[in-house]
Amino acid sequence: MRREIVVVGDRETVTGFALAGVARGYVPSSREEALSLLRGLLGEEGVGLILLTHRLAEELGEELKRMVRGKGPFPMLLRIPDRTGYRPERDELEEMVRRTVGAEVVVRKE
Amino acid sequence: MMAVSPTRMSLLRLRRRIALARKGHDLLREKMDALVMEFFEVLRRVYEVRKEAFDRLASAHFLLSLCMASWGTVETEQAAREAAKGVVLETSVRYVMGVPVPVAEVEVTVRSPLERGYSLLSPSLLDRASEEFERALKLLVELAELEETARALAWELERTRRRVNALEYILIPRLEAALRFIAMRLDEMEREHFFRLKRIKALLERRERSGGGAEG
Repeated sequence: MRREIVVVGDRETVTGFALAGVARGYVPSSREEALSLLRGLLGEEGVGLILLTHRLAEELGEELKRMVRGKGPFPMLLRIPDRTGYRPERDELEEMVRRTVGAEVVVRKE
Repeated sequence: MMAVSPTRMSLLRLRRRIALARKGHDLLREKMDALVMEFFEVLRRVYEVRKEAFDRLASAHFLLSLCMASWGTVETEQAAREAAKGVVLETSVRYVMGVPVPVAEVEVTVRSPLERGYSLLSPSLLDRASEEFERALKLLVELAELEETARALAWELERTRRRVNALEYILIPRLEAALRFIAMRLDEMEREHFFRLKRIKALLERRERSGGGAEG
Protein backbone atom coordinates (compact mmCIF):
# COMPACT_ATOMS: atom_id res chain seq x y z
CA MET A 1 0.00 0.00 0.00
CA ARG A 2 1.19 3.51 -0.81
CA ARG A 3 1.48 5.92 2.06
CA GLU A 4 2.71 9.45 2.54
CA ILE A 5 5.65 10.86 4.44
CA VAL A 6 5.01 13.82 6.74
CA VAL A 7 7.58 16.06 8.38
CA VAL A 8 6.88 17.94 11.60
CA GLY A 9 9.50 20.24 13.06
CA ASP A 10 11.30 23.49 12.44
CA ARG A 11 11.46 25.45 9.18
CA GLU A 12 14.86 24.21 8.07
CA THR A 13 13.92 20.58 8.51
CA VAL A 14 10.67 21.02 6.62
CA THR A 15 12.44 22.96 3.85
CA GLY A 16 15.12 20.32 3.48
CA PHE A 17 12.69 17.46 3.14
CA ALA A 18 10.50 19.47 0.80
CA LEU A 19 13.52 19.69 -1.49
CA ALA A 20 13.75 15.91 -1.31
CA GLY A 21 10.13 15.67 -2.46
CA VAL A 22 8.17 15.30 0.76
CA ALA A 23 4.84 16.99 0.14
CA ARG A 24 3.60 17.53 3.66
CA GLY A 25 5.60 19.53 6.15
CA TYR A 26 4.33 21.29 9.25
CA VAL A 27 5.92 23.83 11.54
CA PRO A 28 3.66 23.98 14.58
CA SER A 29 3.87 27.24 16.49
CA SER A 30 2.68 25.96 19.85
CA ARG A 31 2.65 22.82 21.95
CA GLU A 32 -1.09 22.46 21.65
CA GLU A 33 -0.96 22.83 17.91
CA ALA A 34 1.76 20.20 17.68
CA LEU A 35 -0.20 17.77 19.84
CA SER A 36 -3.45 18.07 17.93
CA LEU A 37 -1.56 17.88 14.64
CA LEU A 38 0.19 14.67 15.65
CA ARG A 39 -2.99 13.19 17.05
CA GLY A 40 -4.58 13.76 13.66
CA LEU A 41 -1.62 12.39 11.72
CA LEU A 42 -1.36 9.27 13.87
CA GLY A 43 -4.97 8.49 13.11
CA GLU A 44 -4.66 9.05 9.39
CA GLU A 45 -4.80 5.91 7.32
CA GLY A 46 -2.71 7.24 4.44
CA VAL A 47 0.26 8.35 6.52
CA GLY A 48 3.19 5.94 6.50
CA LEU A 49 5.91 7.86 8.25
CA ILE A 50 6.03 10.89 10.50
CA LEU A 51 9.43 12.49 10.90
CA LEU A 52 9.51 14.51 14.09
CA THR A 53 12.42 16.51 15.42
CA HIS A 54 13.84 15.40 18.75
CA ARG A 55 13.51 18.92 20.08
CA LEU A 56 9.79 19.01 19.47
CA ALA A 57 9.29 15.44 20.64
CA GLU A 58 10.99 16.27 23.91
CA GLU A 59 8.79 19.30 24.38
CA LEU A 60 5.69 17.15 23.97
CA GLY A 61 6.99 14.65 26.50
CA GLU A 62 4.62 12.18 28.16
CA GLU A 63 1.61 13.22 26.12
CA LEU A 64 3.34 12.14 22.93
CA LYS A 65 4.43 8.85 24.50
CA ARG A 66 0.87 8.13 25.53
CA MET A 67 -0.34 8.84 22.01
CA VAL A 68 2.22 6.51 20.48
CA ARG A 69 1.77 3.68 22.96
CA GLY A 70 -0.07 0.74 21.55
CA LYS A 71 -0.32 2.01 18.00
CA GLY A 72 -0.08 -0.39 15.08
CA PRO A 73 2.81 -0.73 12.62
CA PHE A 74 1.66 2.35 10.71
CA PRO A 75 2.14 5.25 10.79
CA MET A 76 5.76 4.90 11.80
CA LEU A 77 7.08 7.69 13.98
CA LEU A 78 10.76 8.56 13.84
CA ARG A 79 12.50 11.19 15.90
CA ILE A 80 15.30 12.94 14.05
CA PRO A 81 17.91 15.55 14.96
CA ASP A 82 17.34 19.06 13.71
CA ARG A 83 19.81 21.42 12.05
CA THR A 84 21.78 21.75 15.27
CA GLY A 85 22.03 17.97 15.53
CA TYR A 86 20.14 18.02 18.80
CA ARG A 87 19.46 14.66 20.43
CA PRO A 88 18.53 13.97 24.03
CA GLU A 89 21.10 12.19 26.18
CA ARG A 90 18.99 9.16 26.83
CA ASP A 91 16.60 8.54 24.02
CA GLU A 92 13.39 6.64 24.05
CA LEU A 93 14.87 3.53 22.48
CA GLU A 94 17.53 3.14 25.15
CA GLU A 95 14.88 3.58 27.80
CA MET A 96 12.92 0.81 26.15
CA VAL A 97 15.89 -1.52 26.11
CA ARG A 98 16.48 -0.92 29.78
CA ARG A 99 12.87 -1.64 30.58
CA THR A 100 12.58 -4.82 28.55
CA VAL A 101 15.91 -6.33 29.43
CA GLY A 102 16.07 -4.95 32.91
CA ALA A 103 19.68 -3.92 32.50
CA GLU A 104 21.79 -1.38 30.75
CA VAL A 105 22.95 -2.72 27.42
CA VAL A 106 25.89 -1.42 25.49
CA VAL A 107 25.99 -2.46 21.89
CA ARG A 108 29.59 -2.97 21.00
CA LYS A 109 30.88 -1.84 17.67
CA GLU A 110 32.27 -4.60 15.56
CA MET B 1 -6.85 -20.54 47.85
CA MET B 2 -9.27 -21.77 45.29
CA ALA B 3 -12.72 -23.09 45.95
CA VAL B 4 -12.38 -26.77 45.19
CA SER B 5 -14.39 -29.76 46.17
CA PRO B 6 -12.20 -32.52 47.57
CA THR B 7 -13.14 -35.30 45.23
CA ARG B 8 -11.09 -37.70 43.22
CA MET B 9 -12.55 -36.19 40.07
CA SER B 10 -11.31 -32.68 40.81
CA LEU B 11 -7.95 -34.13 41.84
CA LEU B 12 -7.55 -35.61 38.39
CA ARG B 13 -8.81 -32.46 36.75
CA LEU B 14 -6.31 -30.36 38.72
CA ARG B 15 -3.43 -32.60 37.76
CA ARG B 16 -4.30 -32.14 34.13
CA ARG B 17 -4.55 -28.37 34.53
CA ILE B 18 -1.17 -28.19 36.21
CA ALA B 19 0.44 -30.21 33.46
CA LEU B 20 -1.12 -27.91 30.88
CA ALA B 21 -0.05 -24.75 32.70
CA ARG B 22 3.53 -26.05 32.94
CA LYS B 23 3.57 -26.82 29.26
CA GLY B 24 2.23 -23.35 28.44
CA HIS B 25 4.82 -21.84 30.70
CA ASP B 26 7.65 -23.68 28.93
CA LEU B 27 6.35 -22.68 25.51
CA LEU B 28 6.08 -19.03 26.51
CA ARG B 29 9.59 -19.13 27.92
CA GLU B 30 10.87 -20.42 24.62
CA LYS B 31 8.98 -17.70 22.80
CA MET B 32 10.52 -15.13 25.13
CA ASP B 33 14.04 -16.39 24.46
CA ALA B 34 13.45 -16.24 20.73
CA LEU B 35 12.01 -12.74 21.03
CA VAL B 36 15.03 -11.56 22.98
CA MET B 37 17.37 -12.86 20.31
CA GLU B 38 15.36 -11.26 17.53
CA PHE B 39 15.15 -8.01 19.48
CA PHE B 40 18.91 -7.73 19.89
CA GLU B 41 19.50 -8.48 16.25
CA VAL B 42 17.15 -5.66 15.27
CA LEU B 43 18.70 -3.37 17.87
CA ARG B 44 22.18 -3.94 16.49
CA ARG B 45 20.97 -2.88 13.06
CA VAL B 46 19.15 0.14 14.53
CA TYR B 47 22.41 1.48 15.92
CA GLU B 48 24.19 0.80 12.65
CA VAL B 49 21.65 2.49 10.41
CA ARG B 50 21.01 5.27 12.87
CA LYS B 51 24.58 6.46 12.78
CA GLU B 52 24.67 6.44 9.01
CA ALA B 53 21.29 8.15 8.67
CA PHE B 54 22.00 10.88 11.20
CA ASP B 55 25.43 11.60 9.71
CA ARG B 56 23.80 11.96 6.33
CA LEU B 57 21.11 14.22 7.75
CA ALA B 58 23.72 16.39 9.42
CA SER B 59 25.58 16.87 6.17
CA ALA B 60 22.30 17.62 4.39
CA HIS B 61 21.52 20.31 6.96
CA PHE B 62 25.01 21.70 6.56
CA LEU B 63 24.62 22.01 2.78
CA LEU B 64 21.19 23.54 3.19
CA SER B 65 22.43 26.20 5.59
CA LEU B 66 25.29 26.99 3.21
CA CYS B 67 22.78 27.37 0.43
CA MET B 68 20.55 29.59 2.55
CA ALA B 69 23.50 31.73 3.51
CA SER B 70 24.87 32.20 0.03
CA TRP B 71 21.70 32.24 -2.05
CA GLY B 72 19.22 33.51 0.50
CA THR B 73 16.74 31.96 2.88
CA VAL B 74 13.71 33.27 1.05
CA GLU B 75 14.95 31.96 -2.30
CA THR B 76 15.78 28.56 -0.87
CA GLU B 77 12.40 28.25 0.78
CA GLN B 78 10.73 29.35 -2.45
CA ALA B 79 12.62 26.63 -4.33
CA ALA B 80 11.51 24.10 -1.71
CA ARG B 81 7.88 25.10 -2.31
CA GLU B 82 8.34 24.73 -6.05
CA ALA B 83 10.15 21.42 -5.83
CA ALA B 84 8.29 18.44 -7.22
CA LYS B 85 6.62 16.50 -4.46
CA GLY B 86 5.14 13.08 -4.45
CA VAL B 87 7.74 10.97 -2.77
CA VAL B 88 5.68 8.13 -1.33
CA LEU B 89 6.33 4.98 0.59
CA GLU B 90 5.48 1.54 -0.61
CA THR B 91 4.41 -0.15 2.59
CA SER B 92 3.33 -3.52 3.86
CA VAL B 93 3.18 -5.44 7.13
CA ARG B 94 5.42 -8.35 8.00
CA TYR B 95 5.04 -10.73 10.91
CA VAL B 96 7.94 -11.57 13.17
CA MET B 97 6.89 -14.38 15.53
CA GLY B 98 3.30 -13.28 15.23
CA VAL B 99 4.10 -9.62 15.86
CA PRO B 100 3.06 -7.25 13.08
CA VAL B 101 5.93 -4.95 12.05
CA PRO B 102 6.10 -2.36 9.28
CA VAL B 103 7.93 -2.74 5.98
CA ALA B 104 8.48 0.44 3.99
CA GLU B 105 10.49 1.62 1.06
CA VAL B 106 10.83 4.94 -0.72
CA GLU B 107 10.12 4.55 -4.37
CA VAL B 108 12.21 7.31 -5.86
CA THR B 109 15.33 8.25 -4.05
CA VAL B 110 17.92 10.38 -5.74
CA ARG B 111 16.45 12.48 -8.51
CA SER B 112 18.15 14.55 -11.14
CA PRO B 113 17.93 18.37 -10.80
CA LEU B 114 15.49 18.35 -13.73
CA GLU B 115 13.12 16.01 -11.96
CA ARG B 116 13.11 18.13 -8.84
CA GLY B 117 11.06 20.79 -10.57
CA TYR B 118 12.48 23.95 -9.07
CA SER B 119 13.99 26.70 -11.22
CA LEU B 120 17.07 25.68 -13.15
CA LEU B 121 18.63 29.01 -12.35
CA SER B 122 19.15 27.91 -8.78
CA PRO B 123 22.71 27.36 -7.55
CA SER B 124 24.36 23.97 -7.58
CA LEU B 125 24.49 24.09 -3.80
CA LEU B 126 20.74 23.68 -3.80
CA ASP B 127 21.09 20.54 -5.93
CA ARG B 128 23.67 19.16 -3.58
CA ALA B 129 21.55 19.91 -0.53
CA SER B 130 18.48 18.35 -2.15
CA GLU B 131 20.40 15.25 -3.11
CA GLU B 132 21.74 14.89 0.40
CA PHE B 133 18.25 15.16 1.85
CA GLU B 134 17.04 12.53 -0.60
CA ARG B 135 19.77 10.16 0.51
CA ALA B 136 19.08 10.93 4.16
CA LEU B 137 15.39 10.26 3.62
CA LYS B 138 16.05 6.80 2.24
CA LEU B 139 18.15 5.92 5.29
CA LEU B 140 15.62 7.44 7.67
CA VAL B 141 12.87 5.29 6.22
CA GLU B 142 15.02 2.24 6.84
CA LEU B 143 15.74 3.45 10.36
CA ALA B 144 12.06 4.08 11.08
CA GLU B 145 11.26 0.56 9.98
CA LEU B 146 13.91 -0.88 12.29
CA GLU B 147 13.00 1.27 15.28
CA GLU B 148 9.32 0.44 14.95
CA THR B 149 10.21 -3.24 14.70
CA ALA B 150 12.33 -3.01 17.85
CA ARG B 151 9.50 -1.21 19.62
CA ALA B 152 6.92 -3.80 18.59
CA LEU B 153 9.17 -6.67 19.67
CA ALA B 154 9.94 -5.03 23.00
CA TRP B 155 6.25 -4.58 23.62
CA GLU B 156 5.52 -8.21 22.81
CA LEU B 157 8.42 -9.27 25.00
CA GLU B 158 6.95 -7.38 27.92
CA ARG B 159 3.55 -8.94 27.40
CA THR B 160 5.02 -12.42 27.16
CA ARG B 161 7.08 -11.87 30.27
CA ARG B 162 3.99 -10.82 32.18
CA ARG B 163 2.20 -13.97 31.10
CA VAL B 164 5.16 -16.17 32.03
CA ASN B 165 5.32 -14.55 35.45
CA ALA B 166 1.60 -14.89 36.00
CA LEU B 167 1.83 -18.61 35.28
CA GLU B 168 4.98 -19.14 37.29
CA TYR B 169 4.18 -17.10 40.36
CA ILE B 170 0.41 -17.07 40.55
CA LEU B 171 -1.49 -19.69 38.61
CA ILE B 172 0.78 -22.71 39.04
CA PRO B 173 1.41 -22.19 42.78
CA ARG B 174 -2.33 -21.78 43.33
CA LEU B 175 -3.15 -24.94 41.45
CA GLU B 176 -0.49 -26.80 43.38
CA ALA B 177 -1.86 -25.54 46.68
CA ALA B 178 -5.32 -26.68 45.68
CA LEU B 179 -3.90 -30.05 44.69
CA ARG B 180 -2.17 -30.44 48.07
CA PHE B 181 -5.37 -29.49 49.84
CA ILE B 182 -7.42 -32.06 47.96
CA ALA B 183 -4.83 -34.78 48.44
CA MET B 184 -4.80 -34.06 52.15
CA ARG B 185 -8.57 -34.09 52.43
CA LEU B 186 -8.81 -37.29 50.48
CA ASP B 187 -6.25 -38.95 52.73
CA GLU B 188 -8.10 -37.76 55.75
CA MET B 189 -11.37 -39.03 54.41
CA GLU B 190 -9.79 -42.36 53.73
CA ARG B 191 -8.49 -42.58 57.29
CA GLU B 192 -11.92 -41.64 58.60
CA HIS B 193 -13.49 -44.24 56.41
CA PHE B 194 -11.03 -46.88 57.50
CA PHE B 195 -11.61 -46.02 61.16
CA ARG B 196 -15.35 -46.16 60.66
CA LEU B 197 -15.06 -49.62 59.15
CA LYS B 198 -13.03 -50.77 62.12
CA ARG B 199 -15.64 -49.37 64.50
CA ILE B 200 -18.43 -51.12 62.65
CA LYS B 201 -16.50 -54.35 62.63
CA ALA B 202 -15.91 -54.11 66.39
CA LEU B 203 -19.57 -53.29 66.93
CA LEU B 204 -20.68 -56.27 64.89
CA GLU B 205 -18.31 -58.61 66.69
CA ARG B 206 -19.56 -57.43 70.06
CA ARG B 207 -23.17 -57.94 69.02
CA GLU B 208 -22.37 -61.45 67.73
CA ARG B 209 -20.82 -62.37 71.04
CA SER B 210 -23.71 -61.06 73.18
CA GLY B 211 -26.81 -62.08 71.22
CA GLY B 212 -25.86 -64.03 68.16
CA GLY B 213 -28.99 -63.29 66.09
CA ALA B 214 -28.38 -59.83 64.61
CA GLU B 215 -27.20 -59.86 61.06
CA GLY B 216 -26.00 -56.77 59.25
